[in-house]
Amino acid sequence: MMRFLVSRLASALVVILGVSVLVFFLIHLVPGDPVEVMLGEGSQPADREALRRALGLDLPVHVQLGHYLQGLLQGDLGVSLHSRRPIGEILLERIPATLELALAGLVVAVLIALPLGIIAALRKDTPWDGGAMAFAMLGVSIPNFWMGPLLILVFSLWLGWLPVSGREGPASLVLPALTLGTAMAAILSRMIRATLLEVLNEDYIRTARAKGLSWGQVVRRHALRNAMLPVITLLGLQLGALLAGAVITEIVFSWPGIGQLVIESIQRRDYPVVQACVLLISLAYVLVNTLTDLCYAWLDPRIRLGQ
Amino acid sequence: MAALSTAVPAAGPRGAAVSLLPLVVLLLTFVSLTACGVRPPSPDILRFALVSMPVTLDPRFATDATSSRINRLLYQRLVEFDQDDLPVPGLARWERLDARHYRFRLRDDARFSDGTLLTARDVAATYRHVLDPAHASPHRLALAGIVSIEVVDDRTVDFHLEKADPLFPGRLGLGILPARLITSDHPFNRAPVGSGPFEFVAWPAENRLRLRRRRDGQLLEFIAVRDPTVRVLKLLRGEVDMVQNDLPPELVRLLRAREDIVVRTAPGSNFAYLGFNLTDPHAGRLPVRRAVALAVDRDAIIRHVLGGAARPAVGLLPPEHWASDPDLQPLPHDPAQARVLLREAGYGEANPLRLTYKTSSDPFRLRLATIIQQQLAEVGIAVDLKSYDWGTFYGDIKAGRFQMYSLMWVGIKMPDIYRYVFHSSAVPPAGANRGRYADAETDRLIEAAETAPDLAGQARYYRRLQARLLDELPYVPLWYEDHVFAARRGIEGYRLARDGNYDGLAGVVRRGE
Repeated sequence: MMRFLVSRLASALVVILGVSVLVFFLIHLVPGDPVEVMLGEGSQPADREALRRALGLDLPVHVQLGHYLQGLLQGDLGVSLHSRRPIGEILLERIPATLELALAGLVVAVLIALPLGIIAALRKDTPWDGGAMAFAMLGVSIPNFWMGPLLILVFSLWLGWLPVSGREGPASLVLPALTLGTAMAAILSRMIRATLLEVLNEDYIRTARAKGLSWGQVVRRHALRNAMLPVITLLGLQLGALLAGAVITEIVFSWPGIGQLVIESIQRRDYPVVQACVLLISLAYVLVNTLTDLCYAWLDPRIRLGQ
Repeated sequence: MAALSTAVPAAGPRGAAVSLLPLVVLLLTFVSLTACGVRPPSPDILRFALVSMPVTLDPRFATDATSSRINRLLYQRLVEFDQDDLPVPGLARWERLDARHYRFRLRDDARFSDGTLLTARDVAATYRHVLDPAHASPHRLALAGIVSIEVVDDRTVDFHLEKADPLFPGRLGLGILPARLITSDHPFNRAPVGSGPFEFVAWPAENRLRLRRRRDGQLLEFIAVRDPTVRVLKLLRGEVDMVQNDLPPELVRLLRAREDIVVRTAPGSNFAYLGFNLTDPHAGRLPVRRAVALAVDRDAIIRHVLGGAARPAVGLLPPEHWASDPDLQPLPHDPAQARVLLREAGYGEANPLRLTYKTSSDPFRLRLATIIQQQLAEVGIAVDLKSYDWGTFYGDIKAGRFQMYSLMWVGIKMPDIYRYVFHSSAVPPAGANRGRYADAETDRLIEAAETAPDLAGQARYYRRLQARLLDELPYVPLWYEDHVFAARRGIEGYRLARDGNYDGLAGVVRRGE
């Protein structure tokens, strides 16, 4: 286990370093000059040069990269070109909102997908199966930019149960989490159904039944546990994507998370903020993938990490 | 698949019940959160919805419209503008001691929100900070004509200019900051201290900013809601009290139909136009630009797409501006004449005219562009519509990588915008002459206006310039968009400003609904 963690940590560092360098160069290739965006057209060359100097943008790109990486090692993500605030401070304001929404969305997705997938698999080719899969199809077909306002219309405007948007208390989390969760649940439930059906047809399931275990015990102890491996992989990927910011959902519900920050920063050509966000997102992916691998070992003891 | 289905026995009722447990948990959570979660919005706070939060509350560095509008509430300026966009005293009255020397005398009653008196030293410190190249303020350019600033006494400050500039008072629209906090490098961007009608209370979340009105303690909260539909739904539900602009016409129609909402509009000065690349072999030809101008049916677009909330434009400055020519008439819609012009210019079936039209990816701007594309097609101009994210679009426009584009000028007050936009020396990065327009007569009129000794003299040249531009059509003027304000019934006292600022919040109150 220790060896596994050390090797994952080493590869994570390489990935993060690679992503940082790649993003640094890519963002400098994107059309649009942050100095001109900040000073506007018609600014005097002397002012542009002064601002470039003040922001360190007058240095050769490789020197800028060196400074950026040096800052990273010291935990300094730099300063936003626009608000002139430390980026670490900006991210710390956004991360809790993103974490909250991502985890809530994931919980909703699992709570919906598990029963739907299991019922659809256990009652294959019955109206239960049809109903569950129709729901899944509907969930995956409705885009979040439509689902969000629809939920707002019903639960906020007509029923008056929940706030329309914003991040003010647990109630405001319900609709964005449902919007994210239903879309994710649709994919998850189909995956659970498919893998469960496959597992239920394995020899060891028949053996377990032959040993005298009840059908419920067989499903819970043997089938579900084995069916969960690909589901966990999918969950990991979904969580990674959610931590990268559910942009549409964040915009619809005015949720002040990383997704909105990335979009705003790209539009303003706020290079250091975009770089920091991408770094954070790659970190989130690496972390979630490591956790996914650890879950594999827990679900299936035959998998020995690091071997 | 058939084999699989036969191998899987149906789950018993207990199995189904167990597997439904997570759904039950979800439902119970949902019900409990909905039951305890919603508090009615506090009537003690007035809530104003914005598209985005201000980038900075430091007026020395603010350039985006939201920051500028909110900073107007937090800080006062030496000079304001009247209904004709003429500069009028704000914090100070002024006199021109000679062509290059202005004296400003401050009012006695202006105090910062921390209780200290606003003095001439604060004025000098604010402007000196902006003028210092080391601070890289985006406002330095507009003030570059200042040679020195002299504090005469506590209430009097003198500005010495490099050359005569009758427009100078109008350039002093910067919010004044306390000198002692400038010296101590106070973080005004997140903790502003000004002398405006409002004071800063808190910025509790990234999308919520709270201010307090100084005269009566009324709390005001700005809430950022990017999606217009959601912004309107929040208004309908009472989670916000007011919204202003950035609403598609269909949502404005919906709001107008509601009894609990009051919608008001007022003429605006934001100028929408079509720009051309004058160095392009097609767009650079006057008959082509004139044909485009005649083919666009502004009235129909204003009536059917903008919901009547705009007025046809004749030029950069609206007709009520002191330097504008109120007698200039908008271009007519005459597709037949447009076809004739194109035919005379050598375009036809054998030699069709095809133009690329660039616009931003904003859905509403894209919709307008699509309609203009259709109108141009009706006179025989094939248009390739290309939309880009803002940074890419703006970069292309500045670099001259376009044939035709549409954009809008926002918040224009000073007529010297004409040099910035149309003088041949103002090609980016020196200015905003994005179409590379070069016309000796235009340059001459701009220069003559700048050297006129007073505003009346300047206005005469600027009026001739407007007529010239309407003949030459480096821009095809489209319309000035109205400002739309919607509030919950009971919200009273808000006055819409022509430049769309939020100054009306100083007088707004909530009466019993």
